[in-house]
Amino acid sequence: MGKNKTKRLNSEGFWGYLMIAPTILGLMMLNIYPFIKTVILSFSSTKAFGQYEFSGISNYKEMLGNAEFWKATWNSIYFCILTVPVGVFISLLVAVFLNEKIKGRVIFRAIYFLPMVVAPAAVAMVWKWMFNTEYGIINEVFGIHVNWLTNPSIVLGTCAIVAIWSAIGYDAVLLLSGIQNISGSYYEAASLDGAGKIKQFIHITLPMVSPTIFVVVIMRLMASLKVYDLIYMMVEQSNPSLTSAQSLMYLFYRESFVAGDKGYASAIVVWTVLLIGFVTAIQFWGQKKWVHYDV
Amino acid sequence: MIKLLKKGMTTVLCAAILLTSAAGLSGCGSSDGKDAGGKKELTFQIWDVAQKEGMEALASAYTEENPDVTIEVQVTSWDEYWTKLEAAAEGNQLPDIFWMHTNELLKYADNGILADVTDLYDDESKTYYEDKFSDVSIDNTKGSDGNMYGVPKDKDTIGLVYNKEMFDAAGVAYPDENWTWDDLVAASEKINAATGKYGYMAYADDQIGYWNFVYQAGGYILNEDKTEGGFTNPATVKAMEFYIGLQQNEWCPDQNYFAETSPGTAFFSEQGAMYYEGCWNLKSLMENNPEMVGKWDVAVLPKCPDPVSGDGRASISNGLCYATAAKGENLETAKDFLKFLGSEEGQKIQGESGAAIPAYIGLEDTWVKVFDAFDYKLAVQKYIDMFEYGIQSVNSASRPVWKSKVSDELLKIYSGESTIDEGLQNMQDAVDQAIAAE
Repeated sequence: MGKNKTKRLNSEGFWGYLMIAPTILGLMMLNIYPFIKTVILSFSSTKAFGQYEFSGISNYKEMLGNAEFWKATWNSIYFCILTVPVGVFISLLVAVFLNEKIKGRVIFRAIYFLPMVVAPAAVAMVWKWMFNTEYGIINEVFGIHVNWLTNPSIVLGTCAIVAIWSAIGYDAVLLLSGIQNISGSYYEAASLDGAGKIKQFIHITLPMVSPTIFVVVIMRLMASLKVYDLIYMMVEQSNPSLTSAQSLMYLFYRESFVAGDKGYASAIVVWTVLLIGFVTAIQFWGQKKWVHYDV
Repeated sequence: MIKLLKKGMTTVLCAAILLTSAAGLSGCGSSDGKDAGGKKELTFQIWDVAQKEGMEALASAYTEENPDVTIEVQVTSWDEYWTKLEAAAEGNQLPDIFWMHTNELLKYADNGILADVTDLYDDESKTYYEDKFSDVSIDNTKGSDGNMYGVPKDKDTIGLVYNKEMFDAAGVAYPDENWTWDDLVAASEKINAATGKYGYMAYADDQIGYWNFVYQAGGYILNEDKTEGGFTNPATVKAMEFYIGLQQNEWCPDQNYFAETSPGTAFFSEQGAMYYEGCWNLKSLMENNPEMVGKWDVAVLPKCPDPVSGDGRASISNGLCYATAAKGENLETAKDFLKFLGSEEGQKIQGESGAAIPAYIGLEDTWVKVFDAFDYKLAVQKYIDMFEYGIQSVNSASRPVWKSKVSDELLKIYSGESTIDEGLQNMQDAVDQAIAAE
């Protein structure tokens, strides 16, 4: 009996390994190996066509003494502050409303999810025209003259609006699935006890859906710290407010592929990974205080 | 059992590795020449989709005479082209023939990536290049060692594009050869007063923008032996002050405007009367803006009225070349095709395709004639006239390094973050440091 069990497990194990082999191989070749290579490059001075030589921590020294780098770091963090809390809050609201029994619920769900299906480049193109100072529809409708994309103190906020808009649908669907897992009996009991909709939301929905919120917050934070495509599309390299909008990944792109300094650019990537790791570690430590798994 | 399992795993892993690597090989393999049925298969990499037909015409003209060769033209967008080409160079997987741009040529040539084709035409004439191509064209193809690392393909100049209707509305005469910077300013003022539209649109750009003004004033961006920058040269400073100062005028949009709306877009939506444009865009501008045909024309660049040195004339003249890899597998065939591309016949076919002016002296008309096909004939001959005083597009092996740094500094001047003097000093430092690190 016991022998049979081991055999079955083993053959299951074999098939398991076989099934994950393509993914693991892909990860090894496309993620892990390049990552190791990036770390090596970050300690090297690179020349054209892949030649490099070990140069110790000179890239890091240069990086830490560079004002542009610190500005980019702050820009990335600032972008997170702008997008994550507001974005997750709005997504939660949307999820709650989409869970109510309203007319055309399915259509609304589809509409909210649509931005997720559109390519980020296309999203940015359209928003860029809407935000155009001279001819954009937003300034036209409100009769204002705001330099949405060229005013250094506004530009990141503008990008954040677009980022939030694009992410709401996806986050809301995740949260919605979390909300739908909550048993209706809790709400029945609460309403018998005389709790209104708002009290129900705070005392039932929020704690019960907190594991999903946690996942959404972590994903959104990582995506925001790594933001590149949206800002690259919205803020061209001829834009005077470029330095105020340049995220870490944008700076990496410019150093690596425009200026061709792959060593220095790799140091920026390693820094970004450390930053994301640090922020995520704080998240996991902090979750004990507000995420409820055992309900 | 466990042993068996391990063995099984290894087999599967090996198979998977083999499979993926085989897929990888066949993916890149197309760039290797194969003797498929005795035929040489060459790949020809370019970045401009508008010129694909012209390049295919060249390929078929060549393969007709050389039936044992096939040539496949591949287009990659400009943005990806250089990333891809560099990766291909690292892996020794370069296409057999590809376009080279002055921005990058020295980097490739000086690192031994490109085949030296100096003696390509020795059997015809020892001075083939000097006889058939201008000095600027040849300089745009030379490595730092003075050897030819490609065959000149085309050449270009920058010209003034203007809206005729706005000039008529303001009662200003059209730009001509005698125009100076002062006329540019005066016409802009009048047009703005009469129509409320923008005049000359000056924006942050090097080749199509301030470089022209700098060389007209007698200044320079790099000194002749490319050992230091010229941003603090008095003539350069004079030109930069003038050019950057243009945006202070009511009739010129500021850099914020241009960050969102390119001058070409503004011009063809009839928001501004003038801007500078390279000849390589003219044909597609005619095709893409049919409702504007007849409303606009082109002129030579206005000259500097009081240059520090020289006669005040200049127009930045760049050019592409066809190149092949030094370590290419089909080097001999590729070189033979290159030779054809630089021949009179090859250059003529290219000119007739209309996208670019052939580098070959005397074939400029093939390009001019292409514009006969439109209802309104642009004065494209003006672009040809400017070759007389064309200035070689600025390059050095470290240009990829200093290009973005200089452009960032320029933006800081425009946004008021630094003064012109500080900004120019920073540009100078950026260029000098990059050259020192070469």
